[in-house]
This record gives sequence, structure tokens and C-alpha cells, in this order.
Amino acid sequence: MNDANVSEPLLQVIGVHKRFTGVHALRGVTLAFARGEIYHLLGENGCGKSTLIKIISGAQPPDEGELVIEGKRHARLTPLESLAAGIETVYQDLSLLPNMSVAENVGLTSELAEHGGRLARTFDRRALARTAARALEAVGLPSDAEFQSTLVEALPLATRQLVAIARAIASEAKFVIMDEPTTSLTQKEVANLIAVLTTLRAQGVTVLFVSHKLDECYAIGGEVIVLRDGQKVAQGPIADYTKAQLSELMTGRQLAQARYRTQAQSVGEAVLEVRGLGRGRQFRDVSFVLRRGEILGITGLLDSGRNELARALAGVAPADAGTIALDGAQIALATPADAKRHRIGYVPEDRLSEGLFLDKSIRDNVVTAMISSLRDRFGQLDRKRARALAQQTVNDLQIATPDIDKPVQSLSGGNQQRVLIGRWLAIDPHVLILHGPTVGVDVGSKDIIYRIMQGLSERGIGIVLISDDLPELLQNCDRILMMSKGRVTGEHRAEGLTEAALYRALLSEAA
Amino acid sequence: MNQTMSSTDTVDVAARRRPPDWRAKLARRPEWLPGGLIVLSCIVVATLNPRFLQWATLFDLLHSATTTSLFALGTLVVLASGGIDVSFTAIGALTMYSITKAVFAWWPDAPFWLILVVGAVGGVVLGLINGLLVHRLKAPSLIVTIGTQYLYRGLLLTFVGTTFFMNIPHSMDRFGRIPLLAYRTVDGLDAVLPVSVLALVAAAVLTWWLLNRTMMGRAVYAMGGSLPIAERLGYNLRAVHLFVFGYTGLLAGVAGILHVSNNRLANPFDLVGSELDVIAAVILGGARITGGSGTVLGTLLGVALVTLVDNTLILVGVPSTWQKVIVGAFILVAGVLFALRRRG
Repeated sequence: MNDANVSEPLLQVIGVHKRFTGVHALRGVTLAFARGEIYHLLGENGCGKSTLIKIISGAQPPDEGELVIEGKRHARLTPLESLAAGIETVYQDLSLLPNMSVAENVGLTSELAEHGGRLARTFDRRALARTAARALEAVGLPSDAEFQSTLVEALPLATRQLVAIARAIASEAKFVIMDEPTTSLTQKEVANLIAVLTTLRAQGVTVLFVSHKLDECYAIGGEVIVLRDGQKVAQGPIADYTKAQLSELMTGRQLAQARYRTQAQSVGEAVLEVRGLGRGRQFRDVSFVLRRGEILGITGLLDSGRNELARALAGVAPADAGTIALDGAQIALATPADAKRHRIGYVPEDRLSEGLFLDKSIRDNVVTAMISSLRDRFGQLDRKRARALAQQTVNDLQIATPDIDKPVQSLSGGNQQRVLIGRWLAIDPHVLILHGPTVGVDVGSKDIIYRIMQGLSERGIGIVLISDDLPELLQNCDRILMMSKGRVTGEHRAEGLTEAALYRALLSEAA
Repeated sequence: MNQTMSSTDTVDVAARRRPPDWRAKLARRPEWLPGGLIVLSCIVVATLNPRFLQWATLFDLLHSATTTSLFALGTLVVLASGGIDVSFTAIGALTMYSITKAVFAWWPDAPFWLILVVGAVGGVVLGLINGLLVHRLKAPSLIVTIGTQYLYRGLLLTFVGTTFFMNIPHSMDRFGRIPLLAYRTVDGLDAVLPVSVLALVAAAVLTWWLLNRTMMGRAVYAMGGSLPIAERLGYNLRAVHLFVFGYTGLLAGVAGILHVSNNRLANPFDLVGSELDVIAAVILGGARITGGSGTVLGTLLGVALVTLVDNTLILVGVPSTWQKVIVGAFILVAGVLFALRRRG
């Protein structure tokens, strides 16, 4: 380090706000990052971590506030400016180009940034191979020509993750952001990564490390920053905090949140029985019984297999092992149509791409699941009945719209979600699978969705709630299943359980 | 960054050490498919009619493949970038007809190189309009270029002319007759390899160099791999869009001029309608319709295969209406094999 003012922070984030429709994701975050230090960014899902990373890496502009990089002020950054300033990001989705070679994925980005994004020039392939080889060796990957010319789409996920890390350190990075870089790595690979981080720190590189795995954070050491509801709630050396303190900081000392699930509701006989369900390497040996009128929560970290399980129960990506029985009779769920026929409704996590026809009207979206039963005697859609049904759903679910003919995309996230739930109510479901029903939904809408959920369970519908929102699970469920690495690792009664306890269980079972 | 970690062992990447099966081979080198089909077709035709095996056949093939190849190389670049262009034939038709007509009316003695340059510039301008529209409107390139195909063609037929003429400018006519190679066949016919074949070679080399040796070429594949990721990594998508469609326009403009001088005829109804043939040839050459892949060699082989089928069936006494059937069958075979290569 030959800079005169070493004490000057490498990067400062000052008073940054970011709002999305209905959600205030960052509320005046101010942070300073010193050179050669490792920072752990902790917080629950939806606390604003991802948004903060996107603003630093230039993927999104802040609404208010500024970034100061080595004394230079920026009201916003483009991705290229961020890269040119020495900020490299390992994204959660890895952001690798599947159709290009390992060497190109590792080396081209820094090549691009070094020349200000200029495309009208040739590039030195040997220099590219050398850069790539150095970075690949640093993360413990092979660096021979054969591996370098392999297309990324042919690599297994763990190797891709390491390639993404190699890309981040291929250039003269000053600030490396790693967004959950260890989700699919083995312990040996994680140990290797920690060694890489230590070397980087010794070279004066600042690392911002985002992970849910607290044990890893302690092993790496450094400073910890905790975000909650878009605000910084703590910062200091990680060694000064206990795990319990950190999970309390992340979840917040919430004023004993009222459970929506009030008394021990009358739970009936088994409606859905799952035995030894599995799909490839995504999840296996999953067994549980869902009773009539029961709300069963399923949670786990991103790589736990909970998402895949949800999709299997909906017939979207069917299981290849085990059995599913509905009301005592075995059923096959090979397609979403099978699920629908057996009156299993599925509200997917990504309502925009998987669930809704955004540019179609609310009415069309509501009636689409039961369109075949709305035929008149000429086989045509009975518009009057469709209209009445849609209007009733809109009223029942308190969807805020002046007109059911408006396109769904004109609604807020919470209202869109209610349309999606309403669609399945129209088929009078036995089982409803809700996958992250309140992701990206504001507080008021959450409340309404929870009330709807309780109302449905009182009607005898069995509900599987797959979510990583711990308060949501505690407030709504009878039981919570915990998944880790594709297996069910624990079952908890929701009543009386505290959020901190549930979070600790989540982290320890994931480790 | 100079760290080397002697202590770290190499991570096991078992998946790639498996001996590759035919699917993996086909995924890496899709050129094998059109290459194999070409060899197969040649063997069949040569067995049925030994006269196929003479230089004159090759000359004929190269002659008729020139225009298609230029179009196909442009299409390759657009497909690699994740887009599609169906307006290039209209660009070729508009430039060739209006330039030929203008030159003939006002400066019949214009040198050929100048006509070629004007054709190229005209093509670039029309292509850039495509690129700008695709980028600005963030609209699917198929829709945009269907629109501009109609637009360019409509402008041509409404404002420039609808009658073909065979009195083309002198220099164009002469260029079409210059032989690169010529000899007299055993049947006493003159077999001529026209000099315009050099344009094919030049375009192939230039396209290969642009795609494989420049940052722009890498950016084309990056955008074809994933547009949002390329944007996040700092690629200037506007520049890539303009380059991709501008370059396709350039090749189309040049192809139009060569088409006139090779056929000694300027017909405003030519070219448009052959887009699908060109796209089919590029797909046969291994480019994925979803973008991010495709090679110059594969594209040239794809064009060669289609041209071969088009031109040699007559040699073995098969009615020319069978051309479409055979090309269609090849495309289905290619489609199935290329779809299978992704699974494994």
C-alpha cells in the first residue's frame, strides 16, 4: 500500500435509500469500508442485502445518497464504472455466460473494464489464458488448456461457483463482493476459499462477504455488518458477538408478534401423505403427513431442496422416487395438470414468470384454472359466469381494483399474489401449496394474505407453506419442517417457538 | 494478483473427465453434422452420376453459393448475438436495385469498386436502422425486422421501380465475367470460376476474425449467452446491437451488388423470400436459434449443403421439386440431433 492516506476508507456508502413499488428496501444506509479488511454482511432475507450489493456493483442506481470511492463521489455507478473502480462481484446467480469458455468467463470482464468497455479492439488470447490460469489456480481449479476451453454450461454447479470467484479475483480488484459464494461448495472447497480470502486481505483487498452460514463467518473473521429492514443495526468485529446475539440482531427484538394461528385449530384426518419422496440429487427421503385444515411450514436455506420439493408437489418438476397419497389413495403428479385434477393448487414463488399472465385481465387470470368447467352447452366460455366468479374472488380476497378487466400488472405485488391465490380457490382445492406467498409484498398486504390463509385452513384446506420468512412461519403454521441438503432434518411445533431459536436451528442444521 | 497457493489441491471436476460421447462431441463441434451430410450427399450423387466429380461442379456450386454465403455470414452474427434478422434480403434488394438503376441513369461508367462501396454503405445504413430500433424499442428483433423487411421492400417497389432490366452498368457486367479460374471441360464446355468468389472468401475471413479475435466478437457471443448478464458485466449492448445489424446490412448490400453483376440482371423481386433458406443453412451449420453459438466454418458448410442439394439433384435425375423435401428432412434431422446434444 503506497497511498499517502491509508486511513481514508476505500469505499463509503452514504445515506443510501432505495424504494421499489411498495417496498422501502434501503432506508438511509451509511457504511465505510477500509482497505484490506473482510466484512460480513448479515441479515434476513429481504433486509436489503441484495439491493445494497446491486447499488455498489452498479446494477441499480440509488434513489438518494451517494457512493464515495477513494475520495471520489458518485451519485450512481454503471456496472462498467464500478468494475473500473476495482469493484468485483460474485453474484448469487453467478452471472456466468454458459455458452462461453472458462477462460473467457474468467478473463474477459477485467479485459473489458481495463479498456473502458471499448469493443473495437482485438485482444491478446495468450494474456487472457495467463490471467485465467493465475485466477483459476488461486481458487484451486485446474488451469490447463483443456479446462480453460471447457464451456461453462458443461460444468457442475460447485465448479461454476469457483469459476465465478476466479473471475472476481482475475483483475486488480480492490473490493470483492461475494453474495453467498459457498452455497454449493464442499467443506474442502470452502476451506480453500477461506485461504483465498486471507491472501486477498493480505494484499490489501477489501472483501464483502454475504453468507447465512455463521460458522464460516467466524472462521474467516473480520468485521460484521448487520442489516435489518433496510437499516444498519450493528457493526463491529465479529469476534465481539455471539451467535445468539447475531441472530437476535438480524431478526430484531420484535414485540411479541401476534400469531395469526390462534387457538389449536381443529385439525382433521390426513389429506396428503408423502413417503420417501426424492428427485435426483435435489432432495430425497422426504416424508410428512398433512392434515385437513393444517398449515405445515417448510423452510431451509437456499440450497436445502425446499424449492425443488415445492415444485415436485405441484407436478412442475416431478419427483422420481417415493409416493404421494391424497385422501388415502396414491396419486401420480407428473404434470401441473395432474396436480390440478387432484385439486392441489400451487402458488409459485416467482409469480411474475411462473404464475400470472401479466398483460391479461384480472378476470382471465382468476378463471384460467377452471376454464374447462365454465363452458356453456356450445363449448364456449360462459362469460357471465366467468365474470361473476372473478368478481366474487376479488371481493372475497379484498383485491384493490376498480375493474376486473384491468391487466394484472396494474396491481401491486400483494394484490397480484391474491389474484394467484384466488385462481386456485376457484377450483375448490383440497391442498394448497404456497411457495413464498409474501415475497416482495408490503406489510399491509402480508396481513391480508395471512388472514386469507387462516380462513382457508378453517374451510378444511390443507396448506403447505414453503417460506424463508421465519416470522411468517411462526405466525401461521402448526408445525415447521426444516430442510437441509435435500433432507428433512427436523420438525418444530410453531406455537411457543421464538424466532431466534428457529433461526439458530436453521443455521446449525445447515452447517 | 500474484497469489499462488501451493497448499490448495486441485478441485475434483470429475464431470468433465468422462470420455465424451457423441452428444458431447456434437455439442462441441456441430460442424460435423453438415460436413457428414455433405460427404454423404456427394457419395450418393457421384455413384449415380460420375460426371459430378469434376471441377466444373465445384465452380458452379461456389458461383451459386456466393450471395447466400454473404447473407448467411450476416445471419450467423445476428443469431450468435441472440437475435434474428429477416430483413437482410430486403436490404440486399433495395440497395442492388436502386444503386444499379441510379448508376445506369446518371453515371454508366462508374467503376465497380465504387458501386460496391456505395452498396456496402447503403446496407450498413439500413442495418443500423434495424439495430437502433431493436435496441431502443427493446423489441424482439424478429418483429422489428419483419417490419423493416416490409418497409424496405415497400419503399423499393413504390418509389424505385418494379420492372427488371438487363442493361446493367458496364463495369458491373464486366466484373461478372472476369474469371478467376477457367478451363475447357471434356464436353467442350467452358467452366469458369468467377472472381466474385473472392468476396465470399474475404467475407468469411473477416467474419471469422471479427467473431473470434475482437472484443466485439466476444461481446456478440456474450449477449447471445444472456443479455441481462452481459449488461451486468459491463458490455455496451447498444454498440453490440448496432454492430450486429450494421454488419449484416453491410454483407447484404455487398451481396446485392454481386447478385446483379453475377446474373447480369437487376430484378426488384429477387432475393426477398429466400430469408428462410439462409436461416435454415445457418441452423444446419450448428448455430442455435436461441443465440450464443455458431461458427463461420459451420455456416459455410450449412450453405454448401443446401446449395449442393439445390444444384445436384438434377444431375441424378431427381425432379427439382424434391429439393425442398430433402433440405426439410436435413433440417429436421439437424434439429433433433442438436436438441439431443443438450441432454445427457
